[in-house]
Amino acid sequence: MFLEQFTGNLLQGIVLGAVYGMATMGLSLIFGVLKIVNVGHGAFIMVGAFITLWLFNTLGINPIIAVPVAFAVGMGLGFVFYYTTMRRLIKAPELATLLATFSIGILLEELVKLMFGSEFRGYNWVVGKINLGVTVLPMTKFYACLGSVIIALLLYLWFKKTRAGSAVRSVVEDDEGARVCGVNVGGTYALSFSLGIGLTVASGVLLTMFIPVGINPYMGGGYTLKAFVIAVLGGLSSPYGAFFGGLVFGLIENGSYTIFNLIPGVEPFALTRFLSFVILLAILLIKPTGLLTTK
Amino acid sequence: MSLLKLENVTKCFGGLVAVNQVSLEIEAGQFVGIVGPNGSGKTTLFNVISGVYFPEEGSVIFDDLDITHYPPYKRARLGIARTFQIPRPFSSATVRENIAVGAMFGSLSGKVGVDASLKIADHIIDRVGLQDHRNKPSGTLTPVEKKLMEIARALAMKPKLLLMDEAMAGMHPNDIDQMVAFIKDIAVEEKIGIVAMVEHIMRAVVGMAEKVIVLHQGSKIVDAPTKEALEDPKVVEVYFGRAPEE
Amino acid sequence: MKKDISKYYPLIPVFAAYLVLFLVGRNISGMWQLVAMLLFYSALGQAFNIFLGMTGYVDFGYVAFMGVGTYGMALAITKLAHIEGLGIWIIIIGFILALLMSTLLSMAVGAVALRLRGAYFAIATIGVNEGFRFFIEGARIWNGSEGIIFVAELNQILGRKTASSLMTYGADIIVLVIAVLAAVVTLCYMRSKIGYALTALREDEDAAKVMGINTTKYKIIAFITSACFAGLVGASSWALKTPYVFPPEVFEIHYTVEAIIIVLLGGAGTLLGPLAGGLIYGISKYYLSILLPGFQLLIFAPIIIIIIVLFPEGVVGMLKCKLRDSTLARFII
Repeated sequence: MFLEQFTGNLLQGIVLGAVYGMATMGLSLIFGVLKIVNVGHGAFIMVGAFITLWLFNTLGINPIIAVPVAFAVGMGLGFVFYYTTMRRLIKAPELATLLATFSIGILLEELVKLMFGSEFRGYNWVVGKINLGVTVLPMTKFYACLGSVIIALLLYLWFKKTRAGSAVRSVVEDDEGARVCGVNVGGTYALSFSLGIGLTVASGVLLTMFIPVGINPYMGGGYTLKAFVIAVLGGLSSPYGAFFGGLVFGLIENGSYTIFNLIPGVEPFALTRFLSFVILLAILLIKPTGLLTTK
Repeated sequence: MSLLKLENVTKCFGGLVAVNQVSLEIEAGQFVGIVGPNGSGKTTLFNVISGVYFPEEGSVIFDDLDITHYPPYKRARLGIARTFQIPRPFSSATVRENIAVGAMFGSLSGKVGVDASLKIADHIIDRVGLQDHRNKPSGTLTPVEKKLMEIARALAMKPKLLLMDEAMAGMHPNDIDQMVAFIKDIAVEEKIGIVAMVEHIMRAVVGMAEKVIVLHQGSKIVDAPTKEALEDPKVVEVYFGRAPEE
Repeated sequence: MKKDISKYYPLIPVFAAYLVLFLVGRNISGMWQLVAMLLFYSALGQAFNIFLGMTGYVDFGYVAFMGVGTYGMALAITKLAHIEGLGIWIIIIGFILALLMSTLLSMAVGAVALRLRGAYFAIATIGVNEGFRFFIEGARIWNGSEGIIFVAELNQILGRKTASSLMTYGADIIVLVIAVLAAVVTLCYMRSKIGYALTALREDEDAAKVMGINTTKYKIIAFITSACFAGLVGASSWALKTPYVFPPEVFEIHYTVEAIIIVLLGGAGTLLGPLAGGLIYGISKYYLSILLPGFQLLIFAPIIIIIIVLFPEGVVGMLKCKLRDSTLARFII
């Protein structure tokens, strides 16, 4: 009985983690290629959430279709922000890029607030449940997990098999070396940034499949922080690391929430979030390049 | 008693061995040149001596003290000063302030305050010839002026050991002769222990160094008085390639 | 002797500005609210500048120190209110407690975060801010997420009349004093070894190390100083003006954002910058909230981006450049 519960809990954690992981891949990609930390990460997730909301509630389009739409919108936004702002800040001190991405995040939040108002919203997409033996999952969560894994795989294939993907990998290793080899580094930056944003916005859709309520312009903040913990866990430069970091994080978050629930006199939700920051700081101190890298 | 002693120092970056079992000794007041083709490990060696890197093997001994794992700032206090290949001025600060930083935190750290340091800076500025630029932000200087300031800043630290990394690169041969003469004068006058240079430019090496250490692919191949070293066939081969078979 | 005093000339415009602010607020009716806000932003900017401006590191979790300071004052007031006759001493103890708590927190944060560079540092500081807040809420210390309300205790300690004038007027005067103090400390740092070390490490940290600067030590000094002032600002401008403290409010990241805007706008690393930035930002925000309520952030966000890309030295930075060779240069740093 206990084993069943435990395994069920584990599975839930992995399913959650897959979605978290996918949501962080964009962050790691952007850092790996451009060495820029996108502090406005959560705001892009929020954009994806609102795209889902709008498509579903207004146009009746189901969230699965929203994923590629969100991805396209994200890539568009990425190109716009890259060419207007980020391009000039590649060689600037960290302060500049941190503040720029932060401000972009704020800008997005305010624009969305303007368009949709700041109330909390949600949507209701009923597609039944799936029984996995040790636990029962709503189908939406299952789709979200499946979607995350598929996207992660697609990204993996893209990196390994396409010219553009190889170009990106070479720039991550050594941008000067790549330039000397004839790689269009500037174009690669633009592509990577846009791809990263596209992934992030798309992940917003998947996250709402997991939690279809509480959607509001300021929801991104919490996700930005989680993404940081996950990215640092997996190694800030590696999208794959981010995915596996997400899995680990999902397990920990789910597990610790269950445990904290059993302790009287504390607030499990807040304590779980506290734990995630303890982990963040611990990793930054001990192995800042990430648990899952070999450096 | 030697001022600086390196014993079997090895530094690796991943699979690449940049410095391979290098041992050397430098006496107080000695002028030594460290030369070698590109990639021979000279700058890495400097970085190990100044504390930017810690070696995987071997030790760095300064004034009989094992400083192998000392952080850079401690080494500066002990009297090791260093200039960089590409000058690194504190751009928004004036020339005077830049040089004062050297005085404040070098071997005189704790003994001089801000005002005394500024005085030392002024003295060095006059000596070096940067009077016209005294109060200009150092970011506005020409590359040659920046190099001059870089050296001045290191001298302000009142070092016992001055590591000069490619200080003369890109300079006109006449300027190099002038520089060499100037540095020699200051070194003797200010009683600076030793001036070690990393120089592709033979003119400077011949002008200054009493002995020459030649590096090749991370290892030391020659360690001898200047004239001998430069005529050593190994050195000729390393720089110019083997002579064609007759 | 004469030479010594001229070092402190740059404080003259600072004192003058605050004097003008004070007089305007006192003598023109209805202006005190705006002046109070400007004082808050200037003090915040001046405090934040000591770290951000002088080291170039971004502490995204800065507001945590203000929050901790607020808690310090709140705890002093609520725990000691029942002791007869302490009166105003409780307020003073509150400030001391605020200072103590911010120092402790900043030492703990500094030990972890200051070993890290750039982006990692920024992430770590966000982590501390949020972590501390969730610790308070999660472990239910200091009343957890319910916060502390201490209006009653404040009235009890000082009597209704004094308490009321403290909240509407006295607290702001204290903020003014804190702002001036922060400016004085900034100038003292700038003129001393500390200032040289900080400039060096801001420009080129590795070169600074090789020159003999123990960069970690100086970063910590700047960090703790900045945090202490934040604690004092929190204790006065938050605790004494609005006698309640809720975790989500006092750890709200947008105060850090405002501090960043103020320092950047005015000129990071300069003495007058935060003052100028505080005034410009405060006035803009005040009138924007009247003309276009709810739009402030929307307008400020792209402005930050424009400043970063086009005017990184800020208002005072550009002024310094223009006035370099004039006699005014001694007053504007």
